[in-house]
Amino acid sequence: MTQPAMINRYRWYELIAIYAGIFVFLAFILSPFVEGFLVSLKPLGLLFSSPYKFWPENGSFDAYRTMWVSVPGFARYIFNSFFISTIVTAIVLVLVVPSAYAFARFKFRGSGPLLAAFLAVNMFSGAVLLIPLFRLMRTLGVLNTYFAMIVPGVAFLIPSAIWLLRTYMMRIPRELDEAAFVDGASHFYTLRRVILPIAMPGITVVAITTFIGSYAQQFIFALTFNSKTEYMPLPIGLYAYFGRQEVIWNELMAASFVGIAPAVILIFLMQRYLVAGLTAGAVKQ
Amino acid sequence: MGQLNLNTVQKFYGTFEVLKGIELEVKNGEFVVFVGPSGCGKSTLLRMIAGLDETSSGDILIDGKRVNDLPPVKRGIAMVFQSYALYPHMTVFENIAFPLRVEKMPEEKLKAKVEHAARILHLDQRLQQKPGMLSGGQRQRVAIGRAIVREPKIFLFDEPLSNLDAALRADMRIELAKLHRQLRATMIYVTHDQVEAMTMADRIVVLNAGEIAQTGAPLELYHKPANIFVAGFIGNPKMNFLAVTCTGVSDAGVQVDYKGQRVVVPVRPHAGLVGRTLTLGVRPEHILLGAGDLSLTVTPTVIERLGAHTVAYAAIGGEGENYCAMLPGTVAIRPEEQVLTGIRAGDCHLFDEAGIALERRVELTDIDMGLLDPAAA
Repeated sequence: MTQPAMINRYRWYELIAIYAGIFVFLAFILSPFVEGFLVSLKPLGLLFSSPYKFWPENGSFDAYRTMWVSVPGFARYIFNSFFISTIVTAIVLVLVVPSAYAFARFKFRGSGPLLAAFLAVNMFSGAVLLIPLFRLMRTLGVLNTYFAMIVPGVAFLIPSAIWLLRTYMMRIPRELDEAAFVDGASHFYTLRRVILPIAMPGITVVAITTFIGSYAQQFIFALTFNSKTEYMPLPIGLYAYFGRQEVIWNELMAASFVGIAPAVILIFLMQRYLVAGLTAGAVKQ
Repeated sequence: MGQLNLNTVQKFYGTFEVLKGIELEVKNGEFVVFVGPSGCGKSTLLRMIAGLDETSSGDILIDGKRVNDLPPVKRGIAMVFQSYALYPHMTVFENIAFPLRVEKMPEEKLKAKVEHAARILHLDQRLQQKPGMLSGGQRQRVAIGRAIVREPKIFLFDEPLSNLDAALRADMRIELAKLHRQLRATMIYVTHDQVEAMTMADRIVVLNAGEIAQTGAPLELYHKPANIFVAGFIGNPKMNFLAVTCTGVSDAGVQVDYKGQRVVVPVRPHAGLVGRTLTLGVRPEHILLGAGDLSLTVTPTVIERLGAHTVAYAAIGGEGENYCAMLPGTVAIRPEEQVLTGIRAGDCHLFDEAGIALERRVELTDIDMGLLDPAAA
């Protein structure tokens, strides 16, 4: 067995402390998920039994089947969520990549204040601006469309995306731009053939955070700007399991897990591009 | 063709004058090295010739055409960067082909050119590898390859070897010299390493604080430095300087007094020297053991034995500066033991109060046959 490096060696009580710490925090983060998953396995009747049983006794995956029956439009909600987040991410990337490059490379008047303003925008959550946004959307006549959920999403996600990607691009050696410039390449050619491929890990991070961010903020925009069932994204769609008499908890939990599955799968696929050390060999460091 | 002219080229950063009116002519096919201490403006000057930095005033002419406002590619230059600046996601082939791809050259012609360049640089076996898999020397060759394929009028090198280790640097120096002979192109090379400058240059431009201190062939700078700065900069270890007083001027040269010893240094005098304090310069390699025209008894404090020769350092006369001698490798001297050293008058350099050299009476053609016929150099 190989010994860990000197700097990574701990005494037994340090190890216990480390794992205890990890356990405490993981328990807080993961227990709702575990509980949610267990609930999704239980028949509805068992949920309200007393004393409450943590482990499902005659657990089954029935809820994962019946959920499609009790809320027929659920597939559409998943699609909507996925669709809105994908479009938001695509628009953000198209806008942010060139602007992050500009902020990282060019000196222009107002670049500092602009970046500071972006941070300031980030401090407002969308919720604060909901009412003005609502009035704006109504005036434009775009309430109850995908547009109403996509555009505010894009607007609120661009600032942090620019900050993230700008920092990444600043780490790409400037000599690469200069070398390309000396060889006659235009800025867009350099961006496309040199910067973009090297910045791929950074762009992937931005894509993932934007996608997740868009997924998370859909709820509030959809709740306010949309009342049409067919455009509802997943977080609103889940309300369909809240019946008049009762909440179908097991199906609600099952639906939650099914609903986030596509996003999780997509993010796992995108992680492939998060390879480190892509700039190795570019310049001597 | 690759003729370069700089006419009173200036560069300001704010109000700070980085380059103070540089005048220079580089002939077609010449290998010119800009050398100087860090911050002397040599890299800035190169970047201005390349078109990466603006020129504040003055003209840069390539083949007689003013190029100040042209982008690099229209100037007909190619540049090799200190850090190589290779594109890490592209293969060696694509790296070298990059300038041609920008030009949208047809695939077949492009392939032929890249392969030709790769053969010159011994990279033919590496074309499908990525820069990350190459050694430092190979990476630098790829960077040179990218410059070659463009067939520029002028090659610009910005300290290309300073990231390599000593052995590789020596190899690359030889390869670059060969390459210059093979391509017969104009090359301008920036370095702070005087060995690179001395070995590769047809002509060296010594820069100091934004000004050209001297321009000349390597041996010209070594034997006839125009001023104290060049005298101290060229040569390793550094030239020794002694404060002397001028006591007389004759046809034979200038008579100076150093602590009671008088010596006539064969240099061309100018008026009003008598009674002035001058600086006498002598290179460590010209200091001999035993008495000379000027003799100094010194106590070495540090002795470095390098095998081929021995370098001894001594403090003299409370001037704080080291007196340095380069002696034969097997010389019998010890630290803290007095030793008599001598200097021959003919080896001495003399500088006036402004630091300007009084011209030595040495014929350069005796030293360097290449200087007889500039075309042969």
